[in-house]
Amino acid sequence: MYAAWTVKHKPKSLKYVVGNKEVIQKFVDWVRSWEKGIPKKRAAFLYGPPGVGKTVTVEALANDFQVELVEKNASDYRTESAIRRFAGLASQYGSLFGGKRIVLLDELDGLTGTADKGGVKAITEIIKSAQCPVVLIANNAYDPRFSNLRNYCLLIEFKKPPAGEVMKHLKRICAREGIQADENALKFIAQRSEGDVRSAVNDFQALAQGRKRLTYEDVSWLGYRDRQETIFTVLRMIIYGKTCVGAKRAVDMADVDIDMLFEWIYENVPAHLTDPHDLARAMDALSIADVYRGRIRATQDWSFTRYVIDYMTAGVAMARQNTKTRGWIPFKFPGRIRMLSRSKAERAMQLSIGYKIKRKCHISAVRASKEILPYLRIIFKNNANMAAGLAKWLDLDPEMIEYLVGSKKKAEAIIKLLS
Amino acid sequence: MSFEMWAEKYRPKTLDDMVNQKEIVERLKSFVKSRNVPHCIFAGPPGTGKTTAAICLARDLYGGAYREHIMELNASDERGINVVRETVKTFARVRSIGEISFKIMILDEADNMTSDAQQALRRTMERYTETCRFILIANYSGKIIEPIQSRCAPFRFTYLPREEHDQHLRQIAEEEKVKLLDDGLDAIFEVCSGDLRRAINTLQAAASLDKPVDAKVVYSITGRANPADVQKMIEIAMNGNFLEARKQLRDMIQKYGVAGSDIIRQIHTEIFRADMPEQWKIKLADIIGEIDYRLVEGADEEVQLSALLARLVEAGYELRKANMV
Repeated sequence: MYAAWTVKHKPKSLKYVVGNKEVIQKFVDWVRSWEKGIPKKRAAFLYGPPGVGKTVTVEALANDFQVELVEKNASDYRTESAIRRFAGLASQYGSLFGGKRIVLLDELDGLTGTADKGGVKAITEIIKSAQCPVVLIANNAYDPRFSNLRNYCLLIEFKKPPAGEVMKHLKRICAREGIQADENALKFIAQRSEGDVRSAVNDFQALAQGRKRLTYEDVSWLGYRDRQETIFTVLRMIIYGKTCVGAKRAVDMADVDIDMLFEWIYENVPAHLTDPHDLARAMDALSIADVYRGRIRATQDWSFTRYVIDYMTAGVAMARQNTKTRGWIPFKFPGRIRMLSRSKAERAMQLSIGYKIKRKCHISAVRASKEILPYLRIIFKNNANMAAGLAKWLDLDPEMIEYLVGSKKKAEAIIKLLS
Repeated sequence: MSFEMWAEKYRPKTLDDMVNQKEIVERLKSFVKSRNVPHCIFAGPPGTGKTTAAICLARDLYGGAYREHIMELNASDERGINVVRETVKTFARVRSIGEISFKIMILDEADNMTSDAQQALRRTMERYTETCRFILIANYSGKIIEPIQSRCAPFRFTYLPREEHDQHLRQIAEEEKVKLLDDGLDAIFEVCSGDLRRAINTLQAAASLDKPVDAKVVYSITGRANPADVQKMIEIAMNGNFLEARKQLRDMIQKYGVAGSDIIRQIHTEIFRADMPEQWKIKLADIIGEIDYRLVEGADEEVQLSALLARLVEAGYELRKANMV
């Protein structure tokens, strides 16, 4: 498995953090002020949109200053007592080896709802008596929940870095990964991310990983970050893939999970692979992928997923041997999913009838709904007397009767016979 | 005519009532005589008397109040490991009061249990042997993990011979005052191929039409699942229209709830009747067999069968090409 570039190329030092130079300086000054004694505000509250480098800044600073960083996501530590236990202790005493330390409470936005009652209060209390710098991070510091908390914090706002800054970061990654990238390709990715450095790096990885060169053509089709658009691209990479690796890589770009992607491929393969031999090969690849899904279910060993992916992507891509690429064929939404959701209510009804049968017939509800229900339907449509008898014997509800007969009028006739 | 499911009404009540599976029934009777039952696996195709045998055994063993001493669990409804950890264990570890010191746990459709659940079951079986005996019922014993198989006495149920099948249905028809004609009986056997539960359900559904049960009636009520539709689907595929064939398949599975194994069996029958070179038939039989095996392994029915349809498209294409030369 590849490492995520957002982690692999995370800035280790403040000088590599993207943008927000003045803001970061303000934060550094505040941390420095602790050397001269406890400052008036014992906490810094870093806030701003996602992916602009708030957490990265704190981590890089800890690295530059060689201080211990005690870091927790507030979403893990929701309750008052849990926050007290963790942050309270950490902030009241010096580090184990006498060094300095910073306590970081990340993702305060995750601290919501009634379950976290007292959480914000607990944090406020801790800050009041903190003996080391406490850093809070959230997207929105002006959330009413933080109104009291804000009084005790130095507020530091992170802004979206300009595209030029994001580009600089991408270039640094290019150098480290040994990729030659066109200037306008990087510009395109940077602009598209709208200041979200994390998503820019993610997109860049999806496009560039494993390549030596990246041109504008390679990235321009990305368009907007839109699910449908993305799935079409992914499908194209798979169904028209020339190499196994290329087809497999598409999976990492898909915004949908493996099973949903399978449905998309399964739906669209026939229209795009019209040669009978190609079609048979592609469907066979999907069939084998599906067998591996069955094996995963049976063994619960998810590592087999890699073979599912091999067959549903590379297997399908390699099936194309004779089919010529002709014009533009639209991709369709998986019909099976549509049908499944349409008949969801119906299947629920079938299963509830299945449970009624199960109580009488020593058969599982699932099987009863598949094997016995069709016969009931025939009986209910043809023979009101027998239907009434069975309805009574099985203790069916009026809705179930109506479902089995398929008409309200006939159902009423049967129900009349019941009384 | 009576108004319950006939398959239930005519289910044998005691081992003596069971007319078929003679050797198995004899061995089960010996268990009753010795007041002791080992862990068992009842394996075999549907509608051959596995569940019936288990219940008859329990009734013979415990008498009228047998329900207090047994528990029936259906692995397709409750297949997870938690069921084994909780429901099964709770039942298994409490000693039965009464003359016989153990209870019986009937695990129906046990081949649908996840292997995790089966692993958990293996320890439960071992630990509570004193207080509980297990009867595992499965279509394929191969899907039960080895360690459990080795702890159980195996019983292999087979399809009823034709005469017993006919005799049974005729008897029910007589009791219910249904006119069952010979070709109707033939049709039922062909459609249900020895699965007695299906055969009886088919008979009852046919009887609901209130006319003599002949082949036409039988096919008309099972038609959706059977010959005509499958034949049509094969034809569409062989003519090269994969998408339409897949649509038909989807309707069969999703709308009419036909089991994949039924469809594949029907395709298998049809291929040998179809008008095509003999060599092709055996070639396709191999492909059908492979897909059937994948289905047994627990794969998605529509995906597997449509892979088969794609092969039919391919075969049709090759045939047309050969004819043109």
